[in-house]
Amino acid sequence: MTASLELRDVEKRYGDFVAVAGLSLAVPAGVIFGLLGPNGAGKTTTLRMIMDILAPDSGEILLFGRRRQAGDLQRIGYLPEERGLYRKMTVIDQLLFLAEIHGMKRRQALPVVEDWLARVELGEWGRRKIEELSKGMQQKVQLIGTVLHQPEILVLDEPFSGLDPINQGLFKELLLDYRRQGRTILFSTHGMEQAEKLCDHIGLISGGRLVLAGELAEIKRRAGGNSYRLVAPATAADLERVRALPGVEVAIPRDPLDPADPRSASVRLLLAPGASSSELLRQLVQFLEVRELRSEEPDLEDIFIKAVRDAA
Amino acid sequence: MRPEHAFIVAKREYLARLKSKGFWIATALLPLFMAAMFLGPALAASRAKAEQRLAIVDATGAGLGRLLAAALTERGAGLDDRAGLDDRAGLDDRGERGEGVVRFETQLVPPGPDPAVRRAELDRRVRAKELGAWVWLTPGGLRDNRFEYHAANLSNVVTQEVLRSRISRVVSQWRLRAAGLDAAKIAEVTRPVALSTVRISATGSHAEKGIGGFRLAFGLCFTLYMVILIYGQQIMQGVIEEKSSRIVEVIAAAIRPTELMAGKLVGICLVALTQLAIWVAAALVLTTPAILALLTLPADRTLPEVPWPVIAHLFVLFLLGFFLYSTLYAMIGASFNSVQEAQQFAAVGVVFIVPPLLFIMPILNDPDSPLAVGMSLFPFFTPLVMMLRIASKMPSAWQIAAAYSLCLLTIAGMVWLCARVYRVGILMYGKKPTLQEIWRWVRYS
Repeated sequence: MTASLELRDVEKRYGDFVAVAGLSLAVPAGVIFGLLGPNGAGKTTTLRMIMDILAPDSGEILLFGRRRQAGDLQRIGYLPEERGLYRKMTVIDQLLFLAEIHGMKRRQALPVVEDWLARVELGEWGRRKIEELSKGMQQKVQLIGTVLHQPEILVLDEPFSGLDPINQGLFKELLLDYRRQGRTILFSTHGMEQAEKLCDHIGLISGGRLVLAGELAEIKRRAGGNSYRLVAPATAADLERVRALPGVEVAIPRDPLDPADPRSASVRLLLAPGASSSELLRQLVQFLEVRELRSEEPDLEDIFIKAVRDAA
Repeated sequence: MRPEHAFIVAKREYLARLKSKGFWIATALLPLFMAAMFLGPALAASRAKAEQRLAIVDATGAGLGRLLAAALTERGAGLDDRAGLDDRAGLDDRGERGEGVVRFETQLVPPGPDPAVRRAELDRRVRAKELGAWVWLTPGGLRDNRFEYHAANLSNVVTQEVLRSRISRVVSQWRLRAAGLDAAKIAEVTRPVALSTVRISATGSHAEKGIGGFRLAFGLCFTLYMVILIYGQQIMQGVIEEKSSRIVEVIAAAIRPTELMAGKLVGICLVALTQLAIWVAAALVLTTPAILALLTLPADRTLPEVPWPVIAHLFVLFLLGFFLYSTLYAMIGASFNSVQEAQQFAAVGVVFIVPPLLFIMPILNDPDSPLAVGMSLFPFFTPLVMMLRIASKMPSAWQIAAAYSLCLLTIAGMVWLCARVYRVGILMYGKKPTLQEIWRWVRYS
């Protein structure tokens, strides 16, 4: 599979601060690729460099398997994390303008715009100014603006943040539809659940470095077999003791520990390779009233935390 | 830089602004505002005449008080005084037709046995507002050419000037009579003279009111000032709007920031040119002979001629001024997150554009003086000062060429600087940057 988008040893500094440090990443064509990482990991900087809004200090960015050429950006749909529209423009004028800067002719764009507006039930609103629309409607207009020019690659920065549930659903459908058409989608998020549901591939970055990348199913398969769910009444101090046990790599409370009713506490445990679960259970029962300890498929959050820890 | 991208942005700016009501309201209102600015004070001065209840104390024993009272209250008083005043005030040419600006109501008061008592009494009457002022004519004053004027308000310079000139006339007539001339002779020799002004221009000479040329220069200069400032500020607001509404990142992902900046400047420039063209066209239509005939102007009044070269220079100077100031404002807009934040720096533009307005009088009085030439060569002053000079007396070709070249060089520098600040600034949200930070953007981008 050819990479439709590739970063090679890309670095970006702001003064003394290294935002992205030697990042190499390949996004295969026709997949949904999730760029994951906590806030400040360098996701936005990476996407901005892909969109040529920022220039990397070193390294190379390849689009469609070669160095960037004039007109490449018009083949990408970009949704920044900070988004907005001209408040005083009408919906149609706004969308036509966005289509035009992405290389479409006005005449050719108008039917597409009208088609889209009808599809998201904004047909009646085309002649209204953006400022007259509700927030949810404005989000729809923004989404249309991102995909209007039929981009081959979508680059989306935290696409689901701030979207209302209806638009989240709309957007998800659109992404899946795009993948079916063989287009490539790269999106960043710090919400692991979204990524888990949508992505084929993921890249985890932390502190500007890639700590893990690959096909999601494969990553999960590799990490599997070592993840457990523990249900036991536990206090914060108990949790500390669990963490200190030999063989335990990560212990994350799933539900917040409620001091009034510790009975519900459930903890996700990741064990070191080769650690034995029966040995773990033997140690746990010495200070906890264990109700349940069962093997589970790890979720992305576990994998991420472990990967960051291993990288450190 | 791809011109077609800049063109798309320019088209959006142009159409969005032309579609807004604000543009058409401003297009209609500015001429009204200018008319009010020019005609307002003149009308106010001619309608609202000053009044003063004046007590004249005549201690000369020569009947001067009576003569003065007659001179101050005669019908048509103030005729010749006004002409003198106009040269200084410069804004009103109604003097030769109008009535006096100041109406005096006089009363003769004898000095009495004790002048000190009389003075105290007059002061009391001024304080009680029975009197506006009093004047004391003495033999000593007649000898030294100086009389006393007492009033609660001494900032009434026009009133004082009329009074002073009237006393001078009465005194000189009295002296002439004392020297043996008869009244008719005196009236004949003291008749005032006026200047008929004729403008000598490249195309010929024609009679014109000095005041008309003054108004033209002032009006053109002021129009330029308004348009440059208004559209400069619009650039700033437009940039801030794109930044604060966050649309700028969507645009910057498709086209270069320099293309966005260029498109914005050109689009708004075209809006301003459209507005200027509307005004010029309206002025030309309204001053055609057919329309003027409807206006029943007095036969002796002529409108200043506006030669085509002056109109051409108006547009050139506008373009120079627009790009000098709009790049400055674009830079300020790109650096800040809100209009409020940018406001204190927006004042920088005003600091550069206002000084020529303060020197309008000396520049128009001598358009070739070192002051006028020097100011017209300083790029940020060039648009307004050159407009004043060109409208009053066409400067030499080398001065125009030098001033325009310096402007173009400065614009090139400003565009370079602005592009760098703009490129970084439009994506900087959050904290208000310091000047050092902005300078770093320039160095590193």
